[in-house]
Amino acid sequence: MYGWTGCLLRVNLSAKTWKRESFSEDFAHKWVGGRGFAAKILFDEVPPGTDPLGPDNKLIVALGPIAGIPAPNTGKAVVAAKSPLTGFYGDGNLGTRVSEHLRKSGYDALIVEGKADRPTMLYIEDDKVEFLSAEEVWGRGTYATNDWIYAKYGAGVGVLNIGQGGENMARYAVIRSLEGRAGGRPGMGAVMGSKLLKAIVVKGSRPIPQADPQAMRALGAGDLKKVGQLDKQTGWSIQSTNGVLAWCNEVAGLPVRNFRKTRHADAWRIDGERLNDARIATYGCPNCTMRCGITIHDHEGRESELDYENIGLLGANLEIFDLAQVGSLNYLCDEYGLDTMSAGCTLSFYADAIDRGVVSGDFKFGDAERAKELLRLAAHREGPIGNLLADGSLRMARAFGHGSEAYAMQVKGLEVAAYNCKFIPGQALAFGVAAIGAHHREAWIITFELKHTTRESYGPEKAAKVIELQRIRGGMFEFMVACRFPWIELGWGLDNYPKYFNTATGLNWTLDDMWRTADRIYSLIKLNYLREFPNADRRGDYPPAVWFDPANADTDGPIAGQVLEADKYDGLLQHYYDQRGYDNRGIPTKVTLEKLGLSQEAAEVEKFAKLT
Amino acid sequence: MTLTVKLIGPLIQALGFSEKAIYFAAVPTPDAVLKTIAFPADRPRIITRNGRAVRPDESLAEGDRIVISPLYSGG
Repeated sequence: MYGWTGCLLRVNLSAKTWKRESFSEDFAHKWVGGRGFAAKILFDEVPPGTDPLGPDNKLIVALGPIAGIPAPNTGKAVVAAKSPLTGFYGDGNLGTRVSEHLRKSGYDALIVEGKADRPTMLYIEDDKVEFLSAEEVWGRGTYATNDWIYAKYGAGVGVLNIGQGGENMARYAVIRSLEGRAGGRPGMGAVMGSKLLKAIVVKGSRPIPQADPQAMRALGAGDLKKVGQLDKQTGWSIQSTNGVLAWCNEVAGLPVRNFRKTRHADAWRIDGERLNDARIATYGCPNCTMRCGITIHDHEGRESELDYENIGLLGANLEIFDLAQVGSLNYLCDEYGLDTMSAGCTLSFYADAIDRGVVSGDFKFGDAERAKELLRLAAHREGPIGNLLADGSLRMARAFGHGSEAYAMQVKGLEVAAYNCKFIPGQALAFGVAAIGAHHREAWIITFELKHTTRESYGPEKAAKVIELQRIRGGMFEFMVACRFPWIELGWGLDNYPKYFNTATGLNWTLDDMWRTADRIYSLIKLNYLREFPNADRRGDYPPAVWFDPANADTDGPIAGQVLEADKYDGLLQHYYDQRGYDNRGIPTKVTLEKLGLSQEAAEVEKFAKLT
Repeated sequence: MTLTVKLIGPLIQALGFSEKAIYFAAVPTPDAVLKTIAFPADRPRIITRNGRAVRPDESLAEGDRIVISPLYSGG
């Protein structure tokens, strides 16, 4: 078997034991890596009802057959666990040198079990695994922890760590790496914290097994250079993702004031142009030649690395249009190890609830200083409000009552990314049916909706586009483990990715093989969801109710008077289910599961829930 | 007639302006706007008129806001 090391590293923090386990070629070909490995391992090893913040949950760090190899944008890892935010499978990816070092240590994935008896740092170097004390940095933020690790081992090692948010099990705590990288929105950092695992450090020295290392080197290194040239030609990284803010503001898709509004006259103050003007440094992931991490000085003079989701949800959505202050909120999220998107949405929900008189409080939209303090309270679970904020918008809404769940901007418990779908039906569907809750990573079809169909359409073409994008973005890029940005932003062809895969593995896969694998993984995650929630139905695939509320319609601008229509959305959802081979609840049918080679998993789920 | 043309992201550096008013002697279309600002024909883009989708051959009107963006795949 080439391309894979063929081994997993299983670590038990309770027993302080570890073992190298091999996996079969069949397993590798069926699940490939990254999200595929993580979904399968968690399905097999974490039974329904497991406490996500208990020792029986497992944290997975999974890589793919091209992860860590010098080729375009392969310096990423998938982190996954049962989510404390959503209650079922959760994952995320982040740029990290762990991708290279774990593979060079001879592993394609790491499984962390149990719970340490004191704050611990896991150190992995080839055949060595050590359980070291992290008490010195427990209670400290991710920047300080990273510095502490670099001082010990040098800056070239792979690091995953958590901040106070993870330690205190804020349900949307992320895992952090490098200068500004974060992943695992649905609380993967909280799972680490629940295990008293402060950091994972990896240093590997072996060659990564490849079918044709020389050809891979020539292809990968050559293409890395070409992607860098394309970036220079297009100028994409001048604003990187931040260019999206000005566009969303023009097309009435920007989240403003807890998604109540879709545009704002002051949005320009925090847009990509201003960010580029304020740039003091640029950071990126390993194996990347189109670095997206634009870094500015925040209000307190610290370095803060921003992308669109950050300025959208910590800026526009909170009506904070001071770029340095948005930088400060972003810095604090990174330092505490909180997901910027969920943090932004949860704060905006809180401000909205106060504004509507549902609860009393002293937080108002636009109040950056109070927002900073609330982030600190959330990360430390300090006081009743800190505790509520740390639980995310859905739980907060359920605590507040009075119908406030309608404007808790989440799907399945995961807060929506920075696209206001008040009248963008296809993107609303993309959020509704994303595998792990409302994540934009899996399908982003707004430009398709404006260019290739009509915004008003709820037709099958939008469901088809969501599926196509899920296969590419939530599928191939997540199980191969590579960044998607070169593909649309630079026009880097999708057919390059089977080439990398085949050169690494010696196989002869086509894009169709990739799509079939993606469908299998999506269906398995759905089975995981159903096993946890046996009474799940299509209502779980609905976006927040406020997007259907005519009283919430814009009063002027491009979509004045328009909101999503519930019956039409339901029809769009049905198109998606029909095209996917799912039943009316949004669950894959037995026929679909059999076609995807998931009969065994279907039989397991039938012990807990009905399949049709 | 006069239109406002707004560029998004790296198009600003590529074409040398962020936003400007442009006068047209005849009723322009989005295609005519692209030609006027010397937009590279082979560069992928999405064009909106007052925040909504627009056909390349659609007649534009006085005061329209035309926004031209490169393609993104989200943030």
